[in-house]
Amino acid sequence: MIKVENLSKEFTLTKQQRKEYATTTNKAIAVNDISFECQPGKVFSLLGPNGAGKTTTLRMLSTIFKPTNGSINIAGIDAIKYAQEARKKIGFLTGSTGLYARLTPNEVIAYFAQLYGIPKADYQARREHLYSLLDMHDFQNKRIGKLSTGMKQKVSICRTMIHDPEVVIFDEPTSGLDVITAENIIKLIQDCKIQGKTVIFSSHIMSEVDLLCDDLAIIHKGNLLYSGSMSDFRSNMKESNITAEFIRIVHESQNTVVL
Amino acid sequence: MIFKIFKKELKDTLRDRRTLIMMLVIPVLIFPIILNVFVGISASFTEEVAQKSLKIGVVGSEQNYFIDKFIALPEQLGKKEIIFLTDTSQLNKLIQEDSLDLALVISSSFDSTFAKLKPAEINLIYDATDVGIDERARNYVQHIEGIAKQERYIDLQIDETKLMPFQVNYVNVASKKEMIGKLVGGILPYVFIAFGFIGCMYPAIDLFTGEKERGTIETLLTTPVKRWHILFGKMGVVVISGLLAASAALLGLFLSIEVFDLVENEELLNIIHEVLSFEFVIMLFALLFPLTVFFAGVMIPIAVYTKSFKEAQSIITPLNIVMVLPAMIGFFPGIELDPVTAAIPVINIVLATKELIAGTLEFQLLLISFSVMVTLAIMAVLVSYKQFDKESNIVI
Repeated sequence: MIKVENLSKEFTLTKQQRKEYATTTNKAIAVNDISFECQPGKVFSLLGPNGAGKTTTLRMLSTIFKPTNGSINIAGIDAIKYAQEARKKIGFLTGSTGLYARLTPNEVIAYFAQLYGIPKADYQARREHLYSLLDMHDFQNKRIGKLSTGMKQKVSICRTMIHDPEVVIFDEPTSGLDVITAENIIKLIQDCKIQGKTVIFSSHIMSEVDLLCDDLAIIHKGNLLYSGSMSDFRSNMKESNITAEFIRIVHESQNTVVL
Repeated sequence: MIFKIFKKELKDTLRDRRTLIMMLVIPVLIFPIILNVFVGISASFTEEVAQKSLKIGVVGSEQNYFIDKFIALPEQLGKKEIIFLTDTSQLNKLIQEDSLDLALVISSSFDSTFAKLKPAEINLIYDATDVGIDERARNYVQHIEGIAKQERYIDLQIDETKLMPFQVNYVNVASKKEMIGKLVGGILPYVFIAFGFIGCMYPAIDLFTGEKERGTIETLLTTPVKRWHILFGKMGVVVISGLLAASAALLGLFLSIEVFDLVENEELLNIIHEVLSFEFVIMLFALLFPLTVFFAGVMIPIAVYTKSFKEAQSIITPLNIVMVLPAMIGFFPGIELDPVTAAIPVINIVLATKELIAGTLEFQLLLISFSVMVTLAIMAVLVSYKQFDKESNIVI
């Protein structure tokens, strides 16, 4: 489970950034007092246009960033106070995830298994299971730099799941991937759901959201515009499809002065 | 956990061709190349000067004491071709356009002055930019002067020793090893320091900026590993790379001497063997270690802060000039390790190694140098930690 309460994140702007954003204030609020809950066995989607604060939120959930305010609970662990413990429960995958090109899939997976402190026997069984599932045996000893995008994506998935995390965080996992390669990710999310894991993923591809998610939240300029179940969202739609409804909510928020 | 990260990063680094070339290949080759070029050029140059037959223009009587002796000079003093000229008007021009190498102008009163046992005048004209001519000319004159003196001692029935008021014995207390150490010993540690820096540079950029650029740092930071463990694991590889580059340079020096036989001078060879002892290598690395940690500690915050390999390289490369080039001061004879120079980072390592080679390193000065470098290394590590812990630095 993921429980987020009154989460905020402020960044201090450098002189250069103030110039770029044409602002005189020293701080930028990336995430502003948001709260939501993701349940085990359900897929939670974080929606928002570019620069909405999705990545910052997910980076806080995965303990890369420390929140300015608020609390995060990951699988029963206070992720701010006990970040290291919380990380053991998290699998994190982004669309821009890179891999060590000079290492082989075997070496990368073994390295991450060591970082997560997985016992050797468990690691071998887990690796074998994932390799069979993702059909990775043929390229396990090839340098990653020589693999195709699809193969690399499989290695990334295997790396994310090697410690069997309770909570899986995906930040725009299919961005830049072709449909066939993206299918691996879609399948992974569906499998995670079946296995009872808590899944949160950010996206702005509405077809993916429609296909996968049970609950969703919409954020824009760091503010939470909507949080609820997908079925509620569908039944309360004022537009004919979810893409149009998403655009309507975002536009409406731009016309509203947030106090 | 630090060791696991270190092991993986080292494997990754050793598979990078660019790093390998800068870290191992070039340092191994540098001493053989320098020595080969140096020995080759100096040997061929000395040989060429010795073999050269000088064209010597002579103005003056064809038969006088000096000319007779000049013609009879032994060939060991160098081959020569004598051309008699009638006047001195074209001499400078002929020498400048290399038609002549040397000119000998003997005054018409030479014989009469010489017969009166007075100093008879001889003018030697040459171009001092023609290396070796000056020395050849002086050798010729000294040889003839020696013969003339001996003849005069006999004629005047003078015991030669009576004209030698002093028997001066110059006693140099410095050993050859000490002289070599103090005069040229600075070059050796400088090369090690320069390669230590270059060896650190690529891994520092690759393991920090590179990881950011390739998007691998984010996943690493979501693992249950403390950030300082990640930093220390990576830093260990940067330090080891610097030390490996310095070791490769040392190996290159060893190969030049023991395998390629590039040092032929027996005496020099014995001194080098004496210098390159096990104790020397241990002491050298003990001095290089805090220096390399310091280099790594200076480079890492830059590599952590910068967003691309190019940006990091453009900042760290000029740093080489700022940090390593001043150490050249240690080359100059006369600049020695004292309480002041021992407190100047990098230069103190060059000077301490210089003293180490000369065998004159004082413990207190070594302690000051070492303490200064260790303090700086610790400070640099702390700065690295602070930068690596900053959220704005670690992800793009």
